[in-house]
Parts: sequence; C-alpha cells; structure tokens
Amino acid sequence: MENKVNSACETCPQFNAKGLKKLGVHTDNIDYVVALAGNPNTGKSTVFNALTGLRQHTGNWPGKTVVRAEGAFEYNDSKFKLVDLPGTYSLLSTSQDEEVARDFILFGKPNVTVIVVDASRLERNLNLVLQILEITDKAVLCLNLMDEAKRNNIKIDERTLSRDLGIPVVPTSARFNEGIPDLIQTISEVASGKIICKPHRIKNVPKKIEDAVEKLSTEIKKQFPTIPNSRWIAFRLLEGDNRIIKALKTGEFA
Amino acid sequence: MNKDEIENLITLSSDLRWKIGDDFHDSLAEGIYADASEISNASVSKDNEKKKFRLDAKIDRIVTSKTWGFPIMFLVLALILWITIIGANYPSAMLADVLLDIVHPFLKGLAAGIGMPWWLDGFLIDGVYLAVAWVIAVMLPPMAIFFPLFTLLEDFGYLPRVAFNMDYLFKKSGAHGKQALTMSMGFGCNAAGVVATRIIDSPRERLIAIITNNFSLCNGRWPTQILIATIFIGAVVPSSLSTVASMSAVIGIAILGIFFMFLTSWALTKTVLKGEVSTFNLELPPYRPPRVLKTIYTSLIDRTLIVLWRAIVFAAPAGAVIWLISNIYIGNESIAAWTIDSLDSFGFLLGLNGVILLAYIVAIPANEIVIPTILMLTVLVTGVTGGEGAGVMFELDSVNATGDLLRSGGWTLLTAVNLMLFSLLHNPCSTTIYTIYKETNSLKWTTVATLLPVIMGFVVTFLVAQIWRLF
Amino acid sequence: MNYNPTYALLIFFGLVLISYLLFRPKSGWFWVIKNNLKSNEKIVIEDVLKQLYHTENAGKDMNLHQLSNSLKFDERTIVDVIKKMTIIELLTFDGENLKLTDSGRDYALRIVRVHRLWEKYLAEKTGFDKMEWHDRAEDMEHKLSHEETDLLATHLGNPQYDPHGDPIPTKLGKVADLEGEFLSSLKVGSVGRIVHIEDEPDVIYKQILAEKIHIGSQIRVIENNKERVVFYAEGQEFVLAPIVAANITITLLEKEESLEENMARLSSLKDNEEASIIGISKESRGDSRRRLLDLGFVRGAKISIDLESPFGNPIAYLIKGTSIALRHDQASKILIKKGIENGK
Ligand SMILES: Nc1nc2c(ncn2[C@@H]2O[C@H](COP(=O)(O)OP(=O)(O)OP(=O)(O)O)[C@@H](O)[C@H]2O)c(=O)[nH]1
Ligand SMILES: [Mg+2]
Repeated sequence: MENKVNSACETCPQFNAKGLKKLGVHTDNIDYVVALAGNPNTGKSTVFNALTGLRQHTGNWPGKTVVRAEGAFEYNDSKFKLVDLPGTYSLLSTSQDEEVARDFILFGKPNVTVIVVDASRLERNLNLVLQILEITDKAVLCLNLMDEAKRNNIKIDERTLSRDLGIPVVPTSARFNEGIPDLIQTISEVASGKIICKPHRIKNVPKKIEDAVEKLSTEIKKQFPTIPNSRWIAFRLLEGDNRIIKALKTGEFA
Repeated sequence: MNKDEIENLITLSSDLRWKIGDDFHDSLAEGIYADASEISNASVSKDNEKKKFRLDAKIDRIVTSKTWGFPIMFLVLALILWITIIGANYPSAMLADVLLDIVHPFLKGLAAGIGMPWWLDGFLIDGVYLAVAWVIAVMLPPMAIFFPLFTLLEDFGYLPRVAFNMDYLFKKSGAHGKQALTMSMGFGCNAAGVVATRIIDSPRERLIAIITNNFSLCNGRWPTQILIATIFIGAVVPSSLSTVASMSAVIGIAILGIFFMFLTSWALTKTVLKGEVSTFNLELPPYRPPRVLKTIYTSLIDRTLIVLWRAIVFAAPAGAVIWLISNIYIGNESIAAWTIDSLDSFGFLLGLNGVILLAYIVAIPANEIVIPTILMLTVLVTGVTGGEGAGVMFELDSVNATGDLLRSGGWTLLTAVNLMLFSLLHNPCSTTIYTIYKETNSLKWTTVATLLPVIMGFVVTFLVAQIWRLF
Repeated sequence: MNYNPTYALLIFFGLVLISYLLFRPKSGWFWVIKNNLKSNEKIVIEDVLKQLYHTENAGKDMNLHQLSNSLKFDERTIVDVIKKMTIIELLTFDGENLKLTDSGRDYALRIVRVHRLWEKYLAEKTGFDKMEWHDRAEDMEHKLSHEETDLLATHLGNPQYDPHGDPIPTKLGKVADLEGEFLSSLKVGSVGRIVHIEDEPDVIYKQILAEKIHIGSQIRVIENNKERVVFYAEGQEFVLAPIVAANITITLLEKEESLEENMARLSSLKDNEEASIIGISKESRGDSRRRLLDLGFVRGAKISIDLESPFGNPIAYLIKGTSIALRHDQASKILIKKGIENGK
C-alpha cells in the first residue's frame, strides 16, 4: 500500500467539501479516469451532474442516457475525468444497446469504476456488480437512492456488504446531494491506492465450466502476463464474443 | 505476443466450448445470480414487505387500466399541446415586436448611417438577421414551454407506462414497444428521437423506429401547424369555436402522424424489414415526484442554447440563400421566380403551389423557416405589397394580414389542409438526416428514411386534392 | 388546362397497380425473373449431395428416379450433373442406387454444417419467423465459404445442435448424436423430453408450430392410438395426429431426472398467484433469452403479476423487487412452478 502522509483534517467533512472543484467539460491534464457504471435508471447521470456541475439529461426511465458523456472535477489537487455511461443489465450479452458501456469498462481502462446501484433492488443490481468486479479491481459501490430504500423500510448493512464484495461501499442520495462528499473522498482514495480492493470473484460456477475457464485462463496468462482479468476473458472466449477475439488479435489487452 | 499462440487460444476455447454444450450461458447467469442472492441476503433486511409500492400500485392501476389507460394518455397529450399553444402566444408576440419592429429598423438605420452597400445590407440584415430573428420569435417560446412540460412527465415516470399501454399496437405492426418512447422524444425533436432508438436492442426494430420517427410532429413543425390552422381552419367555423377547431385540427394532424407511424412500421415489417416481432422487456420504474423548479430552469436554459445555436447555424445561411435567389436575375426573372414557375403545375396536382414546394426545398436545414419563406416568396410572385421587398423575410404582424396575403396568393382551404399534411409528411430536416446516417451507418437506410416520407406526402396530398376537387 | 381529377386518379391507380404486380412480395414479376436467373450447377450439385446424405443417414437407398423426384430441378439438369459428379468422384453407382464417395460425404457434411449453423444464426441473432429459417438456410448453404462458416461457428459459440434439435457437424466432421424415439411410437405413460422437431414438410411443421409445442419441453404420453396422440407438457394437454407426432423426437428421461408435475408456463399465471421460476424453455433463444436471464428470470426466483396493460398483453411481472413487462409469447417460454395463492 502506498504510504501517504495525511494531514489531520483531510478526513473532516468541511475539508472534503472545499477540496472539490467542479470543472464541467474541461477534461485536459487529467490524473485519473473514473467510469460511472450501473443498471439503467439507478441515478448515474444524477451522480455525474453532482460531481461535475454539468447538466447531463436525467429521466425516470431506463435508457435515458444512450451516449457516453464526459466531465471533470478536481479534488485535493488531483484532476479526475468522469465518464457517464448508459445503463446496462449485464456485460454478458452482446446486445448492441449495451455496447458503449461494455466497451468502455473493458477497453477504456478507467482508473476507478464507480458502480451505481439502486439500494432498494440490491440483489438484481449485484448481477452487474459481480461481473464488473471480474474485470477490474479498482471499484467503488455507490449505494444510491438511499432515501427510497428508507421509505421502503429496507436496511442495508454496509460493512458486511463491503466485506463480501471486497470494495468500499458509499451510501448516497444523489438527487439531494447526500453522501456525495463521501463518494468523492472514497474515489480519490481508491484512485491513489490508499484503499486496496480485493474484489469478490464469482463462486457458484458449475464445475464443468470452472474447469474449462481455469484451463483457458492459464493459457491467457501465459500470453498476457500482466492482465488482471484473464478469468473474464476466458468466460467471454467461451461465449464466442467477437469483440474480445478481435481485441486479443490486435493486442488491445497488452 | 505471437499470432499463432492467439489462434491456438481461440481454437482451444472453441473446443472447450463445444464440450461444455449449449447451456453455458444459462449456467453462468444462474451462477452469478446465486452469488448475488447470497451476498444480498447477508446484508439486506426488510421490515414489512407489503408496504412497498402501495401508492405506485394505485396510480399504476389507473393509468394502465382498460377504461382509463388510453383516455389519460390522450388527455395528457392534449393538455401539453394546449398549454404550449396558448402559452407561446404572448412571448412570441413580444419577441416579434422587439426583434422585427424595433431592432430590425434600427439595424437598417445603422447600416444606412455607415453607408453600407445595399447588397451587403440586404444580405446581412434582411437575409441573415431576419431569419434568425424569426426563428427565435416563433420557435423559441413553444419549445421553451413544451420541453419542460415533457421533462416533468419524464421525471415522474409516466413514459414507460405509455410504452406499456401501447406495446400491443406496436406488436401488431411488427415493431418494438419501446418505439413508444422514441416516438414521444420525437415530438420534441426528431434528431433526439433517432438517437434515443438505441434503447431498442433488435437491429430490425430499431431501424423501423428510426425510419418512422419523422412521423412524430417535431417542434420545428408545431408552429406551422398552429399558424395555418388558426388562419384557415379557425375561419370556417363561428369565431367562438375557432380556437377549439384549430386546436383539434392540430391534434388531429399529430394523431394522424401516429397512425402513419403504425402504418409504415407495419408495411416495412411486411416487406423490406421482414421478421418476427422480437422480444420486448421493459422495466417499469417507481414514480418519482419531479423537481419542478429545477427541471424548468435547466430545460429552459438547455433549450434556449440549442435553439439559438440551431438558428445561427442553419437558419442564417438559409435566410441568406432566400435573399440571394430572389435578387439574382437570369434574364428578367429572379432564380426564385423561375423555380416557382416550374414547380407550379406539380404543386397544383398536389393541391399546393410552387411557392410552398420551393419553401420546403429552401427549408431543408430547418423546418422552422417554412412559413416566413412562403410569405416572402408569395409577395414576390403576387406583387402584393405587405412585406418589405424582394427576398426580405418577415411575418406580418396580425394573423389576419397573413391570411389576406396568402389568399391573394391563391390559397384556399384545400391549400391549407394540404400544407398541414405536407408539413407532417415530408423529408426530415438536415440535422435529423445526418443523425440517421450516423446511427445507421448506411446510405441506403438514410435514403429510405429521407425519401419515404416525402413520397408519402406527395401521394397523400395528391389524393386529397383530387378527391377534394371531385366534390 | 385540360385537367380532370378523375383522370389524374385513374392514372395514379394504374401506376400503383403496375408497381404492385412488379414488386409484390415473392410472386412479383421482378422477383420471379430475378430468381430464375439464379439457379446454377453448383446449387444442383450441392442439393444432390445433401439429399443423398440424408437418405443414407436414414439407412435407405435412392436411385436416379427417386432423386430427381425429390428435387425441384428438371430431370435433364439432374442427369447432366450426376454424370459430372461421378467423373469428379463425388458419387458412384451401386447397381441402380446412388452412393456417396468419401469426398462426396465430406462435401455433403459441409453443406449440412452451413445449413444448420445458418438456421442457428437466424434463430439466435435475427428476428426471422421460424417458417422462414429453412428456406433462407437453403439459400445460404451455397454461399458461405469455409472461413466464413468457421467464423460464424465461433461467433455462435460452437453450438452442438441447431434450433430444430439436429446436430451440427463440426469443422472436422464430428457429429454429436441425437438419440430418441418418435413421439408416435411411445407407450402411454412414457416420460421424456422433446429433442427434435422436423421442419419438413411445411404443412406438418406449420401444425406443430401452431400448437406452440416447444423443443426441450418435458412430456408425458397420455394416450396413443391410430387416431391421436395426446401428451401432457408444461401444464397443458396437447393433441396431435399420429403423422404429426411422428415428426417429433423424444428422449426418455434418465433415472435421476423426474418429471416436474406442477410445471406450467408463466403465461398461465393468474393475478393473485405466486410462483417460482423453474427455467426458460429452449424455445427462447439468442439475445432475448440472455436478456431474460439478465433481468433475473433465473431458477428459483419468485414471481407474481404486477400489472396488466389495457389490451391484456403485455403483462408486468414483479420479480426480484422490480416490475418488468413481457409479452405473452415470451412469458409462454418461461417455466414456473405455482405455489400458494397469496390471497390479495
Ligand atoms: N429519490 C431519488 N431519486 C433519484 C436519486 N438519484 C436519482 N434519482 C432519480 O432517478 C431517476 C433516474 O436518474 P438518472 O440519473 O437519469 O439515472 P441513470 O442511471 O443515468 O439512468 P440511465 O441513463 O437510463 O441508465 C431520475 O428521475 C432521478 O431524478 C436519489 O438519490 N433519490
Ligand atoms: Mg443516465
């Protein structure tokens, strides 16, 4: 872990709020790239707007955002580029509408991936979270729509969740700007390496498949020793994903 | 890394996959959900299950019910249009006053003062400036009202319910239920509607949605519909009913557009875009109270910026072109007059006239400027004085005066009806065409999407004209 | 001006009629002429090979006469082509009967591979109607090159079976086996699973489709006699004529598998019932199947009806805390086990 000397007040909320500078569309001289991923209609664009001060369109229906949008913010002297992605239910399929998000998470090489989930529908959202965690080991779970979860009498034990997933969990209500300072702080700590994630890897895979994946991923590691997500690539190769095959051939993973 | 090794890798994966068999994907998806269940069970606790969704459920039962589902949809559409039409009147008149009656003469005076040559003055002030001013005065107010209203509806969560209600009709016409969403977006702007079709995951149905999006009357066309309906349709009924009559005519055209959208979707599925209706799945989100003020504020600002930008980029050059073709002479006729003459007999067959057809050609970049172009060209051919000279775009201040001018240009009720139809059924504006090309990446489909509506427009106006004249 | 609206209309309708005759789907003159220009020798050769391959696989013999009866080309063309094929050693004569040589068999296998892969492709990745798969694949099997075929196979994840349940030969000619008996020959009380539905002849295939019988369904035979075959599957009874039933292949269930007695289709769920999902029928394919899985329609998930649309189709189902609308035909491909009524 990186050893950084922290000033005492770096963790206090006032400092957090002041350390933030919304940069709007100015995305030059960037230190870190942060992707906003998640199921449709979980508030990704709302989080994006809260962080960058932009007015990316939001709307209460799945599929509002269809092209990726970029913005930036500065926090404690580091500049972050934030990329708002269209919502996806999964990274497993090859359907076209999910292409933008899939490609960016896989090939855009974000330094941190913020996964925005709907707190009242956690189980269904975890489907995507677990897939993303196969791909990257620098992620933050943004437990959004906490106000609605509260209204529906849903309680979430964030520490257990964070332990099980192996990544930091931040509850927010992006629409009311609640929890946003915390989110920024966590993003910057993951980006700088102050927080090290140990992401959960999918366990309930039938033996037949696990064996095949094991075999394939060993081969992949031989070819690309530095790759962090050989298991995911193995899954995709077994699926016959053309995009991945092409990426292997052109060496996009190297 | 080495090419052969990669090939080996791919071959290995093929072999392994063949051995695993066809249920690979299912097992994997189930495995992930099993993990998800375990994790969420460990950290989520719910107090009393049944309380959830209660108010939502009540609203949903009503807005999707057999009796109320469709009437409510219709009412919501009518209400939004009504507020837009009524509400846009005042700011429109005010902007017209300022931009056309005060600023324009002032600029003219200024130009004369610094001794600008007549052609430059005409080109810049009468051409470019007036086009931009007209678009701002006529287009901006309805847009600034329509969009916030629409966004409020969107934020509330009503749109997915519309798609849910209408899906059956889309299924019957071979299209995707989410086309209802992209169609709604098209009522604002077709280019936005075309981009929104990305939510449709089957390529065939997405193409249908793209091609038929133009049948949603966009914001650039509402003002034309409203103006013509007010002048001609409002005039045939007693004056107490004229607002209602003209508004019904406009809504009628919008609904006719929806009808043509279904018809074209159906025809496409039966011919060039054959295929079985694929799946439809739509998540119905919970209702969320919209944040009224914030929505109004942001969509106002957004709209203003976009409209201004469009006005400058598209309307300005168009205004310049209009001024040029009316002032460049070949022999003793201006280019405009010559073109109008040649288009006149074709226009007559369609129950329109050469002026209208030329106006639609000039207005390809921006539908917004159709009416001022028509007025200006009418002055040019009839020689009636009411405007400000050759190639000067203007709108007469009172609706009556506009009506008189058009009638003196040979307009009848038939011309008006057919203009409304043609404004619904003609090629998309250039922004939309470009967007279609970007989204489909195919010249062929862009051409189809561009020409199909014009051809339909020709056929429909032609038939209406002939049948009208028979009786 | 001598213009008359009636003439204008007449001319217009005349033009419409002519373009209809020229371009109407399928039998328009334009298409007819275009198709006639297309058939060539390669197609005839490949169709002969395929026909012989299927006959030999069924353990039957075929002579020249039978062959030309089973193909849509005229006899002269076929005789010419067969002469050529014996010269390039794709087939030989065994007395009256035609036999494939080894290289003929390889060639035939390749054609079959393309045909079945293309059907799989159409089923998985496009929205074409089932009735059209066969004809389109007949067309395509003459067009794809080796490389294209292999690419297609990889892209489809090297499937073992085509959407009708026929095995797809691999690149090296390996063919997975298809075991089973015809539905018409099963005893009353037999329990099994539909593994294959024959798509030829058209008339019978159409009947099977109209009954909405799905590949992969578990069945139990209730009645089997000369008049009719009755079986139970997915909470419904199906009645078929024996010749129709003969086009459906069943494998008997293995010991450890047992028939799910309460299995039903999601489309049969009532407003106040709750159920849990057993799985998705094989009939749901490609991206749409994947999407259903992504949306949480996986084994064990609890499901109930949330809303009905004004036309009664689609219906929104409550699953894993969210309301998701599906059309009937999709719902009929999701299998459930009904549980207790939740008494709203
Ligand atoms: N109550 C509440 N509503 C929220 C919150 N965050 C977002 N919303 C609302 O949820 C809806 C969806 O928000 P978006 O930001 O458009 O969601 P998205 O994830 O970008 O959606 P897609 O672009 O469709 O994937 C909007 O109506 C927001 O106003 C929150 O914390 N609380
Ligand atoms: Mg968004």
